[in-house]
Amino acid sequence: MTERELQIIGRDFPRKDAVARVTGKERYTVDISLPRMLHGRILSSPYAHANILSIDTSMAEAMGVTVITFADVPQKRYNERIITIPPVLHKDHTVLADKVRRMGEAIAAVAAETEELAERAVRAIKVEYEVLPALVDAQEAMKPDAPAIYDTVMFGETEIAIKNNIACTRDIDEGDYETALAQADVTVEGSFKLEKIYHAQMETKSCVCRPEPDGGLTVWPTTQSIHNVRILLGEIFDIPLSKVNVHRVPIGGTFGSSIQMNAPIPICAALALKSGRPVKLTLTREEDAHDHTRYGGTIDIKLAAKSDGTLLGADMKVVADIGVHNIQAYSFLGVSIGWLVSLYKIPNIRYRGTAVYTNKALSCAMQGFGNPQVTFAAESLMDELADKLNIDPIDLRMKNYIGLGDTFWGQGPQVKSVVLSDGVPELMRKGAELIGWSKRITTEARRLTKSNSDRVRRGIGVGRGFHTSSAGAPQPGDVIDFSGAMVKLNIDGSVDVITALMDHGGGTLEALAKIVGEELGVPFDLVNMAPAETCSTVYDCVTHATRGVYAGGGAAYKAAHSLRKEIIETAAKFLNVYPDALDLKLDDEKGQGVVYCRSIPEKQMTLKEIATRCWSESWKTIAAVESYRPTNCPPAYVTVFVEVEVDTWTGVVTTKNVAMGSDCGTVMNPAMAIGQLEGGLSKGAGYALFETNGWDAEGQLLSRGSWMDMKVAGIGEMPSNDGLHMHFADSYEPTGPFGAKGIGEAAMNPVAAAYANAITNAIGIRFYELPITPERILKALEKGGERS
Amino acid sequence: MTVPAFNYLKPDSLAEALDMLATEPGAYPIAGGTNLMVDVRAGKLSPETMIDVGDLDELRGIVVKDSQMTIGGAVTIAELLRHEIIRQRVPVLFAAGKTFANTLIRNRATVGGNLVNAAPCSDTAPALLVLDAEVSLSSSSGTRWIPLTEFLVGAFQTQRRADELLMEVRFPIPPASSRGGFEKMGLRKISCMAKVDVAVMADFDERGACKDARIALGAVAPIPLRAEKAEASLVGTAFIARAPEKPVRCGEQVQDKTIEEAARLAGEAASPRSGSEYKRQVVYGLTRRILTAMATGIRDGEAS
Repeated sequence: MTERELQIIGRDFPRKDAVARVTGKERYTVDISLPRMLHGRILSSPYAHANILSIDTSMAEAMGVTVITFADVPQKRYNERIITIPPVLHKDHTVLADKVRRMGEAIAAVAAETEELAERAVRAIKVEYEVLPALVDAQEAMKPDAPAIYDTVMFGETEIAIKNNIACTRDIDEGDYETALAQADVTVEGSFKLEKIYHAQMETKSCVCRPEPDGGLTVWPTTQSIHNVRILLGEIFDIPLSKVNVHRVPIGGTFGSSIQMNAPIPICAALALKSGRPVKLTLTREEDAHDHTRYGGTIDIKLAAKSDGTLLGADMKVVADIGVHNIQAYSFLGVSIGWLVSLYKIPNIRYRGTAVYTNKALSCAMQGFGNPQVTFAAESLMDELADKLNIDPIDLRMKNYIGLGDTFWGQGPQVKSVVLSDGVPELMRKGAELIGWSKRITTEARRLTKSNSDRVRRGIGVGRGFHTSSAGAPQPGDVIDFSGAMVKLNIDGSVDVITALMDHGGGTLEALAKIVGEELGVPFDLVNMAPAETCSTVYDCVTHATRGVYAGGGAAYKAAHSLRKEIIETAAKFLNVYPDALDLKLDDEKGQGVVYCRSIPEKQMTLKEIATRCWSESWKTIAAVESYRPTNCPPAYVTVFVEVEVDTWTGVVTTKNVAMGSDCGTVMNPAMAIGQLEGGLSKGAGYALFETNGWDAEGQLLSRGSWMDMKVAGIGEMPSNDGLHMHFADSYEPTGPFGAKGIGEAAMNPVAAAYANAITNAIGIRFYELPITPERILKALEKGGERS
Repeated sequence: MTVPAFNYLKPDSLAEALDMLATEPGAYPIAGGTNLMVDVRAGKLSPETMIDVGDLDELRGIVVKDSQMTIGGAVTIAELLRHEIIRQRVPVLFAAGKTFANTLIRNRATVGGNLVNAAPCSDTAPALLVLDAEVSLSSSSGTRWIPLTEFLVGAFQTQRRADELLMEVRFPIPPASSRGGFEKMGLRKISCMAKVDVAVMADFDERGACKDARIALGAVAPIPLRAEKAEASLVGTAFIARAPEKPVRCGEQVQDKTIEEAARLAGEAASPRSGSEYKRQVVYGLTRRILTAMATGIRDGEAS
């Protein structure tokens, strides 16, 4: 696309769902109530690893409820995330478990007239367990004598053995690392440890399922992809997709937690099918906290560079703790090195990745899919390298970063992409200016000055990062990535946009309304984002990978563009003018789109006149449907500068100033885009400073799922408004709809790195493990003897 | 897990409430429910009966009389914070209330409930301890007053008998010549449990010499501790009179050996029982911060 003057995009309008959301009128899954609906509850395992010797459901069934166990559900194994193509998909999950592999594993489920009865019935089920040693540490799980969590899993249609609890491995070599190392003047290395933290999305996982008289299912789930839920339910329960209809329901945040088909969905479906009644199943917060986490594990990186700072090579080793299910471990191992080699030009790499099963909550994508983890490690090492070579950290980054014209493979080696828009220089320059980088004392200088004896020490750190907008690529690969949309013109000149795309709350659908409105000259208010269900929408893979606006919006743009052509061609007939002589724009005075002839101004028709005439002459509805495969996945860059104060008496870190800049191409929704950055900052601060998620030796989640022990960042951790400086690069992505790229995950990716670097700058000590808690800071200061 | 069923009784009068407590063995009085309902939901408690005392007039007032303040057991933390005399004259309690959980919980949680729950990390207990508070317990057979120090027996253990209701908390309003402070260290700035609480009250003569000092440490032991050696080290010194003329800027230190020594002793008091070097360090830091603020009138970090 080439740039054109924008009439709608980039302006702030009240969100279409704002009134419903803030007045409590929005209907989330948990708010749905159907006639004759039953309430479901899950029997959760009290052990992390156990064989199930027997289940006695007779007492529960005597209460007049529906009970299901492993014996009542389809026993075929599936992967709850079907973004990987079928032949290379690992499948280890069943609707209910035949063996306990994590604390809270669903062993049985009940549907009853009331939630209370369901709860009592669940407690009446007697299960005999043979408890097995729990594996909570990935290194322990790989030992030869460790008990097997799975004997076999499915790989495509083949059953494969699992050895040493290793779900998969992935080695990637490019260039010649050993030679690069030999030629290097300097190396830096670190072994980084990352927590398997909980997504802490506002809405817990939930589902309502209604069995239909024709044997079909109608489903209202919490999900990021209604079509993938439909395909999976069809497969698991052997129902034609034409009889499975999944509704899009507003969702209370996800951060990636509903990227796969959520575990309660097929359980709810099985209860509905067995009872013949609609069933609602909603996880409690405690159950939800036991269900999913971010990928944790260790990342070892060694960077080799020349004395002028040019990076020559990287040696990287990742051990990913994937918990109880292999959702997308092979992809995860691919992107882990992908994030590094797409952040900086590193011609020679040696990479060894291992994904390990443990008896813990499953690891799934969480805002960044490995990117915040790798960026924390990479940006920590870049600062260390800058220190070692006495180069300014910004200069070192600018020397090596991947920018305009460079090819990269952020989403794994199959997903090659070329950088066509690059706001990094602007983001760095402006961020440095806003934070006062020129006055920053270098970490080395600080170590030597008397400010090092101050009780409260200030430090400034930078972290830069990116996320790919979609996983698009020129060729098909292992990962499915395409979207679709339908647009139709109503007789009053308004339009309906029908897309399965999910909006997690960030304003994705608002952006789509603007894209369609802009292309068709239809005011924002007259663009309807229609309710969506799988039977009346074309396929959209899933809202993930920061692809909503770029790829979902790309599909909407493509459909709107087709519609625009048809509108002009139709008007051309009515006006007796060649289509090429016509143009379309939003006429502010008329309050609607107008097709007009550039050289004969009186030859014009409004969209309403065109559509009404099509209707009254019984001709047609002007409508278009398109699928769209992005062939690029441009990096949405984010640069974060953080200024912190570290209190050396208590170890408490206070955020004083943040300058956060985004290159998301054209900014669709300015206020919401700032909200995305602030949200990324908040989640990143929590990841950096205090979010933990521990399991004891028996595999029990230490927090038991209580908010009191699951610390996520609240508003109190944010700097004051005066200390928040959000900015956007003047950037235009030629492959994006109206020049747009993504923003969401990018906003989180470099935040922890920036915090770590700021803390190091303040106290001269580097941390290789997140979170950097007050306790760890005090301990490090004590060891370093640097407490005032 | 959903909340299991229990009987819910709502007495119209105090007499009826005490009668219910006497006749319903195992019944729990409930007011804000911010601890009890969480425990019930988690399956830690399964009471047969709950008696809602949250609306009883006798438990709802804050009364000031003869320089003594009496706070009803069902007064919420939010109400405490709205009280002008507490805000002006009892800064240690006001500061403790401000750090208490979050707005939603402060709107429901009660002073009496926080004391009866007797969590080691209670924020009100250390503040009330340095105010020399007493509590009253009533049953159908009468009322008794006992010092808070005796009321708190251990972690989640108090002197309250099952048929008794915590009625009121009272303490002398600190004289104008006194100063105090409260600091809480949690993982987050809002909505967190204390890892360490430090509460300090001290009174001074006209020359600025310390007549009397009380330091209580929360969350370092089953019940809040008094740092007696630290207190003793302050008495007789004039640490507030040696305040520098200009405000202390962020990062600068008040070089006062008395404060440093008291903070060190407070840290030592925390160490043996909490078993955590970290908590010792934080007690040291928070105590030093409070004493410095008392000496300068400025909290660290606020001057910059």
